Amino acid sequence: MNKRVAIQVENDLAELERVSRLVDAFGAQHDLPRRVVFELNLVLDEVLTNVMSYGYADTRQHQIIVRLSVMLEPHPAEVVIEVEDDGRPFDPTEAEVPALDSPVEERPVGGLGIHLVRQLMDGLTYRRQQGKNVLLLRRVIDDRRRL
Amino acid sequence: MEIHETKQDAAVILSVKGRVDASSSAGLEQRLLGLIESGERRIVVDCAQLDYISSAGLRALLVAVKRLNASGGKMALGDLKDEIREVFDIAGFSSIFSIYPNTDAALGKM
Repeated sequence: MNKRVAIQVENDLAELERVSRLVDAFGAQHDLPRRVVFELNLVLDEVLTNVMSYGYADTRQHQIIVRLSVMLEPHPAEVVIEVEDDGRPFDPTEAEVPALDSPVEERPVGGLGIHLVRQLMDGLTYRRQQGKNVLLLRRVIDDRRRL
Repeated sequence: MEIHETKQDAAVILSVKGRVDASSSAGLEQRLLGLIESGERRIVVDCAQLDYISSAGLRALLVAVKRLNASGGKMALGDLKDEIREVFDIAGFSSIFSIYPNTDAALGKM
């Protein structure tokens, strides 16, 4: 059985708090481990901040849809998040990995958000569909660190 | 986010509480850069009550530690919660920040 919730937000960073309340409630409802809820909140923060900050060439209001579901089958159970926006095409799976072994003076300031998303989630897929970016994130429901 | 500042020996201890995200990271960055500007060279960030940090917060710390290192200073982080420590590890920050189990250990190494 799949259990799903969805929320529609405007492209306004002030909406992020509403999303995180949804994630917290979703986590409580499904008894998700604290670490999983923490990571879901973080990756959604990163993904949505990127969409809101860089996704639109205009200053108009846009709607972003976030869908959360728990997939119990097939094992192992996982949380699936879908983020759908009508911003310009952007595929985070193609973004460059930042150089993480350079000394501090040369360490790049950018690229960290997407890197965190890739490392914390167990699956990340992107498709462009009918003028929308659709990003799918999967996180197996367990308590283990990803690194 | 709340920041409390105390001095101990020649170091400044900054206790950062709550969330450091896109809306609060500029405040943290400004606070750190202000300390460096006023001559502080030993900064310990007490993370015991840091509940959340996003890449915006990581960037603020990175900007500050670059400035501090260039001025011959040192920054240490103490008492990171496990989820926060994992974020730092993934971001590759554990090799550019000195991370200690608690503030006393961090001060001891300064």
